[in-house]
Amino acid sequence: MSEAAFTWRSGGCHCGGVRFEVALAEVIEAQTCNCSMCAKTGFVHVIVPESRFRITKGAERLSEYSFNTRVAKHLFCSECGVKSFYRPRSNPDGWSVNARCLDTTDGLDLRVEAFDGQNWEANAHGLAHLSQEPA
Amino acid sequence: MTTQLAGHCHCGSIRVILEPGKPVAELPLRACQCSFCRTRGALTTSDPGAHLFVEAAPGSINRYRFGLKITDFLLCAECGTYVAAVSETPAGVMGVVNVRGVDLAGFEGRTPDPMIYDEETADQRLARRQDRWMPVVVVEVQPSI
Repeated sequence: MSEAAFTWRSGGCHCGGVRFEVALAEVIEAQTCNCSMCAKTGFVHVIVPESRFRITKGAERLSEYSFNTRVAKHLFCSECGVKSFYRPRSNPDGWSVNARCLDTTDGLDLRVEAFDGQNWEANAHGLAHLSQEPA
Repeated sequence: MTTQLAGHCHCGSIRVILEPGKPVAELPLRACQCSFCRTRGALTTSDPGAHLFVEAAPGSINRYRFGLKITDFLLCAECGTYVAAVSETPAGVMGVVNVRGVDLAGFEGRTPDPMIYDEETADQRLARRQDRWMPVVVVEVQPSI
């Protein structure tokens, strides 16, 4: 896919302390997840490569939480607790952005599928391509 | 006698116990559409006949306020989980619990009622909460999970 196919979109946590931008195509593959962490946060994953994500404000306000394998770096705003994005275990070379934290989803075709994170080892390979940088 | 429901945040620093006062199936399940709840897909329940007990390890509660600033959203400082919301009403401290955040059993498969409260004044909001929310006791103690 060419560079021109992506548009930078903004989002952030609730209090406005943490802001990000993510380059998205119009049609987006997104995932809900039933793992212990995602189920509690209601996270709707949009996984992108490193080059399509940037923190624009408040990196110093992020709290980090890890558990189990400690590969995933769960990041949330220390003020309002909202997890707008994080380093996912499935794609530690990229980012997972929370579709719930985009300023708007107008003009986006968000195709949300249920990822079975309770059986993560059997399913994670299906997400690996999402953080690959364009050749 | 109804069964107590227990749940906790992801890291276990905050535990909740809900005494529902009625069968769980008769408790409401609400999906508030405010800007805060939508970031988390919060699903809350409360009932004036229920009681909520919150056990929180010392220092583990982060209280967040916005908008009318009459509500404390109880967040886990360690893992970020939104556990419950509490409000000082004329009837005392009343609250709701985030069923999703603490993974309370008994609500699976339910379709939540979307709720929009944007037009309420502070007085209207407190009156509604006095009628529909439940008494909450927050205790600073290391939860036994």
